[in-house]
Amino acid sequence: MTWFLCRFLCRFLCRFVTCSQSRSTTRSTTQIYQFLPNLEMMSTPGTNTTQPPQHQHPSRTWINMDSDHDKIVNDFCSILDELTANSRPIITTLTKMAEENISCAQPFVEAIEKRIERCVPNQKLYAFYVLDSICKNAGSPYTIYFSRNLTKLYKRTYLIVDNQTRTDLIKMFKTWMAPNMNAMGDPLFDKESLDGIEQFLVKASALHQRHAQATTPAPTVPSLLREIDRLALLTKGRLAQYPSDEKLNTKIIVLEQLKHELQRERMPIQALQQVQVQLKKIFAQEQQTLLQQQQAQQKRSLSTPPPQALEHTPVPRESEPVSLFGSSTLSSSFFPNASDIFPPSDTSIPKQASATTSKVQSLYDLLKKEDLIYEPPFESVVTLDRKIGKTNEQEIQLELPPLSLLQDILGNVKSYFSTLNLDLINTPNLQLCQQTVMQKNPAVIQLTNLLYRAKPNKCSSCGRRFGNSIEEKKLESDHLDWHFRINKRIKGTVGASGATSKNIQSRNWYLHDSQWVTFKDEEIVSTTRSEDAASTFANLNAQTVSKSVDYKSENKPELDVKIIETKLREKYVVVPESTEDMSFQCSICRETTSAIYNEDLGEWIWQNCIESEGKLYHATCFCEAVKDVPQQSINKGFEKLKGLLNN
Amino acid sequence: MAALPGLADSLTPLEDTSDGPKSQEVVIPANHEWRVESPPDTKLVIKVKSGIAEIFGIELALEQNYTFQGMNFALFAVEMVELQYSCLDFPKTTISDDTNMKYIYNLHFSFEKMRISSFDGPKVLIVGDSCSGKTSLAKILCSYALKIKSYQPVLVNLNPQEGVYSAPGCISATPISDIIDVTTPTWGQSMTSGATKLHCKQPIVKSFGLENISDNKHLYKTLVQDLGQVLLERLQNDPVVRRSGFIIDTPPVSQLLDDLELFKLIVKTFKVNAIVVCATTDDLAIKIDEILKTQTITIVRLPQSSGVVAVDDVHKRFLQRNAIKEYFYGDHNVTLSPYVAGVDFDMVTVWQPPSILENHESDPTDLLPVEVNSSNLQHALIAITYAPRRASKDEVLHSPILGFGLIMEVNDVRKKLRILLPVPGNLPDKAMILTAYRYLE
Repeated sequence: MTWFLCRFLCRFLCRFVTCSQSRSTTRSTTQIYQFLPNLEMMSTPGTNTTQPPQHQHPSRTWINMDSDHDKIVNDFCSILDELTANSRPIITTLTKMAEENISCAQPFVEAIEKRIERCVPNQKLYAFYVLDSICKNAGSPYTIYFSRNLTKLYKRTYLIVDNQTRTDLIKMFKTWMAPNMNAMGDPLFDKESLDGIEQFLVKASALHQRHAQATTPAPTVPSLLREIDRLALLTKGRLAQYPSDEKLNTKIIVLEQLKHELQRERMPIQALQQVQVQLKKIFAQEQQTLLQQQQAQQKRSLSTPPPQALEHTPVPRESEPVSLFGSSTLSSSFFPNASDIFPPSDTSIPKQASATTSKVQSLYDLLKKEDLIYEPPFESVVTLDRKIGKTNEQEIQLELPPLSLLQDILGNVKSYFSTLNLDLINTPNLQLCQQTVMQKNPAVIQLTNLLYRAKPNKCSSCGRRFGNSIEEKKLESDHLDWHFRINKRIKGTVGASGATSKNIQSRNWYLHDSQWVTFKDEEIVSTTRSEDAASTFANLNAQTVSKSVDYKSENKPELDVKIIETKLREKYVVVPESTEDMSFQCSICRETTSAIYNEDLGEWIWQNCIESEGKLYHATCFCEAVKDVPQQSINKGFEKLKGLLNN
Repeated sequence: MAALPGLADSLTPLEDTSDGPKSQEVVIPANHEWRVESPPDTKLVIKVKSGIAEIFGIELALEQNYTFQGMNFALFAVEMVELQYSCLDFPKTTISDDTNMKYIYNLHFSFEKMRISSFDGPKVLIVGDSCSGKTSLAKILCSYALKIKSYQPVLVNLNPQEGVYSAPGCISATPISDIIDVTTPTWGQSMTSGATKLHCKQPIVKSFGLENISDNKHLYKTLVQDLGQVLLERLQNDPVVRRSGFIIDTPPVSQLLDDLELFKLIVKTFKVNAIVVCATTDDLAIKIDEILKTQTITIVRLPQSSGVVAVDDVHKRFLQRNAIKEYFYGDHNVTLSPYVAGVDFDMVTVWQPPSILENHESDPTDLLPVEVNSSNLQHALIAITYAPRRASKDEVLHSPILGFGLIMEVNDVRKKLRILLPVPGNLPDKAMILTAYRYLE
């Protein structure tokens, strides 16, 4: 590993030197100058450089370096540990410390990296902010140090944090891509690591998009190595239990060999995939044997006194995430970074780990048996994480609908089923008689549903009920439209003049017997009728003796009345230019009518209006008034009306 | 005076604050009734928070305010109801499970079966003592008939002391084609010229004009016959109404049965085929059965609900005044604008039905001419007929009515009177009939 790192660093250094040489700026030389001793320090740990920093802090004394160093680093770490929230002061302090103690750069960087790795997911972002702040303010050598692990760190963090944090991470990353002021227009970190992150993000967001069709990513050498490690761990754990088992021994050896193979040479992707499949198989076997062992263990433990047995009884919720976690690692451990879900400390103590896994596993199996576990399908960690995260969020945010709503639904369903095959005609015992009225009839109790919930949709303004059939739906929407129109009319409409014309109304005369006999209530109830249908009004001229009314002859004058009325309604007066008010008040009904714009005429007009002797009237009102009062100026009025109708 | 705000409407500010602290909540278990007795002029606002609640068979919408004024009613909880109500006064409220709803359901569904199995719907006559739940039953039966299919049952009111879609002093028939207005004792609005929250109804009205049937039984019989004839004609023309049938609400049985001829006439005129007796015992049903001696009419007794309340004369008067006010001015939901017309004395012709109490000698079939003066007409409610002003009294007697007018002011010196008309315009040139009702604003 060290070797690998060294080679990487050397290569990196070489490139760095060449590129900076070509530019030959003073700043980059300083960087190299500072970098070299640190490299030395890294390769031979323990030997500290005594070289004082030359530019930044000449005031500092560098005596007693060891203890001083440790103290500062310890301080730094303890402050860093306090970073459990996005706290600006802490980040600033840490940045200042980093700026002032360039010599401690290495341990600082390590501390931050460790922090990012180990802290709980929702705090990782803040540690990243420290990294970001230090790199932006202090610049090198931090940028260089961080560049080493940046890609890996970023990826790992990205994978286990929630979506919001991801967005924040991406935002931060974008600032890195932007030309940096301190670094003379160069990006903050080296191109390679930034490119790595960028590619990762592109893939990740693509994964986001097609999470449903997420495919198994191609196995990589490091991922396989990790798998082998884990497998070896498991096997070793079993070997500890059954030291005499030869098979296990050979297995470990085989695994060891495989590991070496993988590390030594590059294999084609197909070969890697094969290895993956094989490993998976072994894993499955291992799991099964583990399972059997655990069941055996369980049986044993069940026979032991109750306190111990309690440990194995399925416990809801709290332990569920743990077992879920375990299961997801097992089933999807072939994905890169899957192992990162386990805190690193877990893997460092193999025996304990295997013991805990087996416990967790047993719990998991128990829960699974009881059908208490959601088993995620074979999917990538990213999707998985998101799904689990989502369901958790939903569970938290989920508020139960109000009880009344649930009761409503229940009631509707109940009455739907109780009226499903109900037929009024064939219902027995409904013949009207005293017994029918008095006795308790189960059929009627069922039928009662027809009055209420069998039509589940209740109008919110009048309480009328509507069913679910297409016709009923149509009726309902018409009914609601009607309410809307009526409410609008009741509120009044704003006329052209800005004045609201209110819903002024009066009681109608009752209909004449002859009119009422032929009247249909559809005229009133129909939600689509034209307003003010003529037939709902009393016809004052109807013949009075109703004993033997000839309806046919009755209809004719009514028709005439209708024609006259439509003609009257077409009458209009052009709004005189002298008037300021755009509405006119009928001298008879006192109703104010607003002017409307007639496009054909290009003028503002008052519809249904006539002028007589300087006064304005509704044409219809005027007509009625003239008809009703034949004594008063009958000739004048009627002549005028006739003239109006004829021109 | 009345034009000054604050003088006329001294109650309004109080009403505004009434919703605040006095709002109370009540939970009514399923199949229980919440009964309210409130004195006249008491305003009660209720709001159903959840559950299925109905008043007179009319289901209430949720979260809507319903305002009642001086009305006794029972709210039936079909399912458990959470109710909020506020009132300035302290109305008497009780919750009881002693209802006759299960019998009413039985009754309704047997009528429903009649409607579905024949072209002729049930022709139901409801009889019972005063305050035995007749009108409530009529409302419930009408409301239920609306619910399953869009039936239009006709409600016939033969009690001239109640105003149903009209001023008091009339008998009327009204097809109930849409929801009844629960909040008014007059059942809702007859046709208006504008928009109303609920559909208006189109009644046919015959003006009796006297207080008690016994005042002129002959006139009453004539009007019942007229009304019955018009209604049966309507049934012939209107298949929906025919199938829906009608429900006849009657005056207290004591007024009907002292003249058996009248009772028989009603049954015959309306071709009644079912009689529902609202009573606690079978006595009345047996008596009616003996009177009619028929096998073709089914007579059933509906057990009385314990919630019926005896209404005193004061309350009756209040309801009558209210009906007159509503006819001209509308209710709290619908504001109507009546019109005051001024006319000369010689422009009006007023007739009066003779009351046996006052004129023993006169022929009860004849209308009496009324001299136009303030002592006769001041504040009187008059029915305006379709008959021309100079028509014969016989023609006037049988004429349908246009509506009502209210004489506001009679000036004997100038020989002029001012009359409140529901419809804007001049006073129609028609004959008018004086009623026994007076109304002073």
